[in-house]
Amino acid sequence: MSAPALTGWVDTDVHVAPAHLDVLAGSFDDYWRGYVVDAGLALSPTQAGAYPPAAPTSATPQARAAGLLPAAGTVDALREALLDPAGLATAVLSCTSAFPVNRNPYYEAALTRAVNDWLLGHWLAAEPRLRASIVVPTLDTRAAVAEIERVGSHPGVVQVLLPVRTDAPWGNVRHRPVLEAAAAHGLVVGLHAWGRVGHAGTPSGLTHTYIEDYLTNSQVAAQAQLTSLVAEGAFAAVPELRVTFLECGFSWLPALLWRFDKDWKGVWREVPWVAGRPSEIVREHVRFTTAPAALPQDPARIREVLELLGGTDALLWASDHPHDHGPGGQWLLDALTDDERTAVTRDNAVAWYGL
Amino acid sequence: MSRLDEFPPGERRIVEAGRKSIGVFRVGDRFYALNNHCPHQGGPLCLGRTAPWVRSTAPGDYRVDGDHALVACPWHGWEYDLATGQSFLGPGEPPVRTYGVSVGAREAGREPGPYVVETYPVHVEDAWVVVDTATRGEESA
Repeated sequence: MSAPALTGWVDTDVHVAPAHLDVLAGSFDDYWRGYVVDAGLALSPTQAGAYPPAAPTSATPQARAAGLLPAAGTVDALREALLDPAGLATAVLSCTSAFPVNRNPYYEAALTRAVNDWLLGHWLAAEPRLRASIVVPTLDTRAAVAEIERVGSHPGVVQVLLPVRTDAPWGNVRHRPVLEAAAAHGLVVGLHAWGRVGHAGTPSGLTHTYIEDYLTNSQVAAQAQLTSLVAEGAFAAVPELRVTFLECGFSWLPALLWRFDKDWKGVWREVPWVAGRPSEIVREHVRFTTAPAALPQDPARIREVLELLGGTDALLWASDHPHDHGPGGQWLLDALTDDERTAVTRDNAVAWYGL
Repeated sequence: MSRLDEFPPGERRIVEAGRKSIGVFRVGDRFYALNNHCPHQGGPLCLGRTAPWVRSTAPGDYRVDGDHALVACPWHGWEYDLATGQSFLGPGEPPVRTYGVSVGAREAGREPGPYVVETYPVHVEDAWVVVDTATRGEESA
């Protein structure tokens, strides 16, 4: 998709990635530098199959021509490819390089610390238009909380980025301290597409094609996570909790929430802390980035989708640079009124992230 | 409709009164009688499960509040207050039709729904359980 043409937009999902593990080595202590060498570890250039080099979804033609695979690795490259031509006011960075890490919880903690040091030291220190999503370990709750406490108060940090695929859904009570720590630091919790290697993307088992895996993010994993967060009472327990779903779509929401509301009326007794309609809880606590936007091309039909969504309040513009999910995001913008477009491309994100 | 000593607590009876089918419930020493016809789609409401209210202050906190006070239709799970016949929806969902039921009936995040099942007064007279179908039965006839 082409970069947004107007000035002053906020892009809520801009990918960056260290080109090699060596880029992060300065943040590892001696033990982990040795571990990386001894184990032959590297950062997967495809992020373990999430972004296959030749898949059209992995990069726009422009980003591909500029060599930005799996994502921009330097500030200058990102300025040239996106920040300047798009005239962005703000870009919220997503680095998912640590998502497909091995299952050593201590290495995962070291790697996420290194990624965060790189985001703050290499990116935010050099470019005032940038904000960071920090990453945290997913296998050790206490380590995740410690990492939020270590870097979560940095003024450029706006979000804690979690993989949408996990060993247990994020609403589960075992994860609650991570959500509490994020909320206590005024940070949004971002659930981003993809996640751990070797993890079945679907409850019916492992997939063996990229297209199944790709669809799983929006059509299976994100919906399961959203259901978990509401049903397990994450928002009841942490009333200040704000969650953004990134690169997971949004046009599936009406069908899920209609069914969720309906069934809640019947089986509320199991979750008596869900003190209101699930759709209302989602409306208050959850936002969605606009890439991918699985929408019809006809603007009149897009208006029907927006009506089912209850408007545009939940939508945050994202290019998802360098990824390419097709023209749905542009079709969405074309179908909006001027006021709606201003909200989706700027004001919603400014309010949500406190920019 | 029954001798009192043949109708122990926790049980129910379905009785016919003219063309009506009526469910009579004994909860502790209280009796309730409802039309055995769910206003939603006509299911046999009084064959459904009864249950108490459950309160919660936080995830994982459950508190059963009082005796069984609700019956759920076996067809679609619509729940009705045994005493008033009032159905419940979620908050913010206005009833399709309004009835003379207090709006203060909001319970556990739920607000009165569109349906009210016909209820009947139940008395115990000389060791017999008596359901009075005359008053409201005449009104609706």
